[in-house]
Amino acid sequence: MEKEFVCIICPNGCLIKVEYEGTNINNIKGDECSEGKDYVKNEITNPLRVFTGSILVENGDFSLISVKTHVPIPKKYIKKIGEITRRIKVDAPIEIGQVVASNLLNENIDLIVTRKIEKKKSLSS
Amino acid sequence: MPEREVIIIGGGAAGLAAAVACKQKGIEDILIIERGDYLGGILQQCIHDGFGLEKFHTSLAGPEYAQRYIDQVKEKEISFLLNSMVVSLTPQKEVIVVNNNGLTHYQARIIILAMGCRERTRGAIGIPGARPSGIYTAGAAQELINLKNYMIGEKIVILGSGDIGLIMARRLTLEGVEVITVAEKLPYSSGLPRNINQCLYDFDIPLLLSHTVIDIEGNGRLSGVTIAQLGKRGGIIPGSRRKIACDTLLLSVGLIPENELSREAGIILDNITGGPQVDERGQTNVPGIFACGNVLQVHDIVDNVSLEAEYIVEGVAEYLEGKLNKEREIKVELEKGLRHVVPQTLIRFKDTIFSFRVNQPGEKKVLVFTDGKRVIKKKFLRRVNPAEMIRVKLISSELEEIKTLKVRLV
Amino acid sequence: MKTKNNRFDVVIIGAGVIGCAIARELSKYKVNVAVLEKEDDVGWGISCRNSGVVHAGFNNKPGTLMAQFCVEGNKSFAELCSQLDVPYKKIGKLVVAKKKEEIKGLQKLKQQGDTNGVDNLQIIDLNEVKRLEPNIEGIAALYSPETAITSPYLLTIALAENALDKGVSFFLNTEVKSIIRLNNSHFRIKTNKREFTSSYVINSTGIYSDYIARMVGINKYRIYPCRGEYHILDKNVSWLINHLVYPVPQAGVGGLGIHLTPTIDGNILVGPSNEYIKSKDNLSVTSSVMKVLSSEAREFLPLISPGYIIRSYSGLRAKQAPSSEGGFWDFVIEESGIVNNFINLIGIESPGLTAAQPIAKRVVEIINKKERLDFDPSFNPFRKGILRFEEQNEETKKTLIKQEPDYGEIVCRCEKVTKKEILEAVNNPLGARSLISIKYRTRAMMGRCQGGYCQNRIMEILRESFKLSPQEITLKGNNSYLLTGYRSNEVSKSCQKEKLLSLEEELLV
Repeated sequence: MEKEFVCIICPNGCLIKVEYEGTNINNIKGDECSEGKDYVKNEITNPLRVFTGSILVENGDFSLISVKTHVPIPKKYIKKIGEITRRIKVDAPIEIGQVVASNLLNENIDLIVTRKIEKKKSLSS
Repeated sequence: MPEREVIIIGGGAAGLAAAVACKQKGIEDILIIERGDYLGGILQQCIHDGFGLEKFHTSLAGPEYAQRYIDQVKEKEISFLLNSMVVSLTPQKEVIVVNNNGLTHYQARIIILAMGCRERTRGAIGIPGARPSGIYTAGAAQELINLKNYMIGEKIVILGSGDIGLIMARRLTLEGVEVITVAEKLPYSSGLPRNINQCLYDFDIPLLLSHTVIDIEGNGRLSGVTIAQLGKRGGIIPGSRRKIACDTLLLSVGLIPENELSREAGIILDNITGGPQVDERGQTNVPGIFACGNVLQVHDIVDNVSLEAEYIVEGVAEYLEGKLNKEREIKVELEKGLRHVVPQTLIRFKDTIFSFRVNQPGEKKVLVFTDGKRVIKKKFLRRVNPAEMIRVKLISSELEEIKTLKVRLV
Repeated sequence: MKTKNNRFDVVIIGAGVIGCAIARELSKYKVNVAVLEKEDDVGWGISCRNSGVVHAGFNNKPGTLMAQFCVEGNKSFAELCSQLDVPYKKIGKLVVAKKKEEIKGLQKLKQQGDTNGVDNLQIIDLNEVKRLEPNIEGIAALYSPETAITSPYLLTIALAENALDKGVSFFLNTEVKSIIRLNNSHFRIKTNKREFTSSYVINSTGIYSDYIARMVGINKYRIYPCRGEYHILDKNVSWLINHLVYPVPQAGVGGLGIHLTPTIDGNILVGPSNEYIKSKDNLSVTSSVMKVLSSEAREFLPLISPGYIIRSYSGLRAKQAPSSEGGFWDFVIEESGIVNNFINLIGIESPGLTAAQPIAKRVVEIINKKERLDFDPSFNPFRKGILRFEEQNEETKKTLIKQEPDYGEIVCRCEKVTKKEILEAVNNPLGARSLISIKYRTRAMMGRCQGGYCQNRIMEILRESFKLSPQEITLKGNNSYLLTGYRSNEVSKSCQKEKLLSLEEELLV
């Protein structure tokens, strides 16, 4: 079977042609780097994506804080994680990289924070 | 009147990178003026990842990318004003700022324009139909959802396949909203291929090329749109009209550099880029006023914005040392296949990075630089796409002898 | 007389510029007046969707009410605007002939104007046209220095606020469903909200005036909606023209032709088209007319470019003349012959804005003849609008920010509208709470980015000011909600917070 993939690893968006049977890859053409090769392999065996979204934050100078999965996770979990993020709430202050939820879906999926949120200043200033 | 060596208008990606670069060049007296209540500009609402691959060799979310610069700004003690609007800019580089503390005049030696861009609206593209609520530009919707915790609708049609629209298609889907389709007027997408893949195809959202919205319905809230397919000459193909019931229309139909202040300062704008005409160091026709980032030309990748800001600051430093002299003036002329170029003029003989956008997608193309007769440089491009900016560096020796510079895509 | 329950001496149906002018005129007397308006704010019908021109009065047939009231209205308009703190500029108008055959038309117009009592009309030649309007193509023109521009919606708001201040009651979102004539010479007016009774009913409902009249059995009127579409051009091309520029009117057309109108705020309007349509609420813009507007405007003004357009919109004319006939039928301002104390205002189209004040005076005369109204000496004709920060000089700006730091926060970048102005609009005395109400009062969201930057901020100010839920913020009242809720629903249900946090505990680190 032959299929074309648009690589999503970087903005180049390379077109990669793959010949494969089942999960066996026979030939890869057009990849411009090794990461592209890995990407395509994953697409055939177990497509991975980084989930990004946001969760509520209390007592912060903003009411939402952005999060992402610490590593790319199986694509099939993306929507489920999206639902979960709508129900998580954390407290400010919070730093980039801080883990706010771990082992989600029992699949070793952690969410880490991608924005720095400070504690809300009092209104007196 | 308070004086400043460098005033940077805008504290988004371009402004922050320019400020940090200025400091690294030994410029001490810098002021960033930001109208919003935080630094980082639009990056703070771009919570998806994929930023920083070129600049930091890792994939960052927008706020993470911004924070790297914000940390440096704070560490280097670069001063900045938030919630402060520049309401006037003169060719003499006098700036008037309004904020809660009052109205203040500043005199700068250098102005760096980093105001970014705004979104093209329904009015500007003339979509016919009724005027209900529920029509949002993609960036405004992104702010409401990602920063303010609001939801804008339940069933959504997206017009235009710009990157923000694609990113929002995924974002809305993950928030449990139904994205019915993305309609694109052109026969190709104006977004990056990887975004079409991971934002639409991952979620089975159809991308309808050569389609547009020809009618909007709804008295209070939007109740539906009519889309139709367009023929080669842009006319509606008979029988292709289709009504779609939805409550929201999201527009991702282009960005416009925000140059109101530039115009006021007598800066000449380029009709195609929408940004100032600049020389190879990002200097406008007004000496000492530079531009970088989306106010100069709309970028597709933030890394290029940062790089552009750093690049023009080389010129800022030279200007302050009195070394940025006009040695000649060559207008860069575009021939076939290319839509725009920055810089528009060359004034010296130094290494220069050019940015281009092509007119339409293509494969196996060559970018050819000539002096009118002789070929100076050729660059092979495996694929070209209007969505992707092409950046090419010419070194001083290639630019030395020439009197004219013409570029074409073949 | 004190209002009890919902009893009024006079109920005015329709809070357009005419209804509000009548309300203000009546507020000079000791009468109880209520204004019923189906929309979320005053002036959302014809009154906010026109060219904003204070006509001189040469377009109207001598001897008509249109001619008489237009000339009268024009002469007193400056004073009205200064009393009410409404912008007004006497910029003058050119009716431009593009070919020789049209010069005759100019002379006819001048003659008509002279007969109507319009001052200072003159026919000018090519050189003079070029001197006044270097960018306009034309061979001669009728120059009318008395023609002016104003803000039609600010005027309507001002009239309403002035009336409100004098005790007139305004009921917004109140749509009349039926009117019953009671034996004791009272009317009972049923609405979607509550019932009103009154001795007089004034039907100033513009496009719907035939429909309202039919409620009491007056069937002789018919109003045809005639749509006019406009383009609005970016402020940065305001230099294109200095005066109102019109074509020579064509016989049998129910409009004045596609013209160029500088607005009080520095935009240029191109339009309106002239199209009889079926529905009274169809305010769509159409691609075919949008194209025609651009091409017809280019005939006058070759420099015009589609890139200058920041928005297109449409308005409706309340025409009595059917499409087969076209042209203008005179205003009808009369007490019904069959239903006493029911006063109809029918076919109030252009120059209705100019004539608003004289029309209102005529209506009061009709009542006064029957009732001998008592003048209220406490009437104060003055009203203050929202101070425009951008229009102040620098020293004033500094002082304003010092006194009120919200003047230092510019919310709308394009039109430079401050948070203080937004807050004043949000807290307007009529209680209108939609985005459009704020837009008309402040100009926020009217600029070239069309709210791209400030709309989200204004929504937030509205929500905070009235503690609204996201769904309660509307574009223009009724069903025009902007948000469907919170992204994360839990945040809105603070009462359930405890439960929620425990539910999430397993997820939290």
